[in-house]
Amino acid sequence: MSYALTTLWHERQRYLTAILAVAFCALLGSVQFGLLLGLFSITSMPVDNSRADIWLGAPKVLGVDLGRPIRESQALARLASHPDIERVEGFLQGFSYWARKDGGQELCMVVGSRLEPGSMGRNTALERYPELAEALTEPGTVVFDESDKEKLGVQKAGDEAEVAGSRVRVVGFVKGAKGLAAPFVFCSLTTARPLLRCFPGQITYALGKVKKGASPEDVVASLRRQYAPAPPKADPLASKDMGALSIQTESQKEAAEENALGQDSQAELSIFTSAEFSRRTRVHWLTKTKGGFALGYAAVLGLMVGAVVTSQTLYSATAASIKEFAVLKAMGIPRWRVSLHVMTLAAWVGIIGIVVAIPAVFSLAAVAEMWGVQMKLEAWLLITVSVVTLFMAIGAGLFALRSLRGVEPALLLR
Amino acid sequence: MIQEGTAFSERVWGSDPILQGLHLVRAFGDGGALSRAVDDVSLEVHRGQFVLMMGPSGSGKSTLLAMLSGLLRPDEGRVVCMGEDIWSLNDKEREQFRLDHCGFVFQGYNLFPSLTAREQIELVARWGQGATSAEARDMADALLIRLNLIDKAHLRPPQLSGGEKQRVAIGRALVKAPDLLFADEPTSALDWAHGEEVVKMLRELAKDNGTTVVCVTHDHRLVPFADRLIDLEDGRLKRQSYGFHGVTDQIGHPMQEPGEIQPAIPAKPTLRFRATP
Repeated sequence: MSYALTTLWHERQRYLTAILAVAFCALLGSVQFGLLLGLFSITSMPVDNSRADIWLGAPKVLGVDLGRPIRESQALARLASHPDIERVEGFLQGFSYWARKDGGQELCMVVGSRLEPGSMGRNTALERYPELAEALTEPGTVVFDESDKEKLGVQKAGDEAEVAGSRVRVVGFVKGAKGLAAPFVFCSLTTARPLLRCFPGQITYALGKVKKGASPEDVVASLRRQYAPAPPKADPLASKDMGALSIQTESQKEAAEENALGQDSQAELSIFTSAEFSRRTRVHWLTKTKGGFALGYAAVLGLMVGAVVTSQTLYSATAASIKEFAVLKAMGIPRWRVSLHVMTLAAWVGIIGIVVAIPAVFSLAAVAEMWGVQMKLEAWLLITVSVVTLFMAIGAGLFALRSLRGVEPALLLR
Repeated sequence: MIQEGTAFSERVWGSDPILQGLHLVRAFGDGGALSRAVDDVSLEVHRGQFVLMMGPSGSGKSTLLAMLSGLLRPDEGRVVCMGEDIWSLNDKEREQFRLDHCGFVFQGYNLFPSLTAREQIELVARWGQGATSAEARDMADALLIRLNLIDKAHLRPPQLSGGEKQRVAIGRALVKAPDLLFADEPTSALDWAHGEEVVKMLRELAKDNGTTVVCVTHDHRLVPFADRLIDLEDGRLKRQSYGFHGVTDQIGHPMQEPGEIQPAIPAKPTLRFRATP
């Protein structure tokens, strides 16, 4: 066992504060970002709760909730043209306005899909309610999460409301499908069209299932090659000679793309695997709303508090051993060797703090889940938080090294 | 009987001193509060000697030890140790010099509270000598056997008596096999039984290793163990004498009567030396 670890163990009461401070940092970072990811994972819920492997949507779609109408026949045909695609179906999603009985209006997110068992777009939240899925096949019927009842001004199944001027009847409620800002309203494709003011023959997405053994990534890559963005029409020279000479400013490119889109909005479609589209949706909202920054600031503050406490604990612990270090210095032991010892102590404080934090993070996640709050603790998040916390502890150790400046062997002589 | 010191030294210890302090001066404070802790002291220490530096509190003995050992820069004068003018070296070179040649024992033990007796010694062997953990353990155990502490190798400072702690500190100082060992009041925190044990061990181990010991103390009970006494008073050398303990006599016969006075190396500008016949 290293001397640092021995010291840590035998002086654990002294170092406990620093270990807890580090654990607090790791906990705060993991919980805050876990909550944030959990919160924004709601935005990608229709993708995550689907059975589709591939999503095909309007050009440059930023997230699943920001889709635009595309031609159903063309989109489904393009997707189905790939030999590894087993089946395809349409999907509708978009924001609309829910008119409450009391006259108020609420933003809602209409999700229209096929409803038969095994269909790709049917939200898995409906799996536990086969009778509701059955009831939704009747045009003009909708369901939503029971926690959104109050928001949408609905008391019970059978109540009626108006969405985008079309009358709808609520046939029941589900659990685990709560929206972020706008409640999710689930219905059939037929019901969804008027609610989203979509023309017949238009959908928001075409969903595809790949054949067994085929890779969705490969299929998407192949489809992207096939339906790759057409060369900018505004600059025929560049399009002809892309390989040899590709001198084009960003603004020229943008103008060219806009032009291309204007001429044929179906020329290039967005094609993603489900995992890609889910991540794209979450990242969009995370960056767009700046919510990540707000929580990020809090996590940085937590890190700073941890750094100060760790640094001060290490400083006072090192200062308490200053006479022992002075003896070593008198004997000619180089300062870097003692500094390395302090840094090793700091690193161990960091590692133990992180080890202490991990079970606490998972316990808090379990408690949050009991309250209906999702905390998404992905491996990359935990690894990132651990690495940042460890660097914080080592940084605190560097700061604590200033206590070694006072090591003066002559002071030991009385 | 007054005897010419240099001639006596050369006869007994050889002609080359391992350590020389030449006209050392060190003052503290400034202006009207200036106080000369060490005032023009010169002395020589020969290889293998066990030298006691004695004097009342404030006589400058610890300051002199600090200057001789390369820990405190003198205001004036030179320290020549093993042929090297140690205060003409830069800090790094002087640190390396101490690493190569010097060991220290202090009154306060200054042991790491969380390390065992063995680890205290191993630490210096590993960090100072670059020994592997196996080598360091062997070196530590060899010393602990000689210090009669092998049974307590696994104990930490709070579990050791004062005498045992000081023996561990001696082990820590000697693990590098230094040419010189500087000790500052090594027995003052101990009762006489433990103090005697510590000083005997220090002397024996130093003799076995060929280590020269310069020990500051105000404890007169250590005098019989010394090869040489240096008395300081008010920062000045009062007298040098050879102690009861025989220089080369291993069977207890002193080579010289106690209290024989050696004149110091002439001071600048005049010898400030108050010898008592």
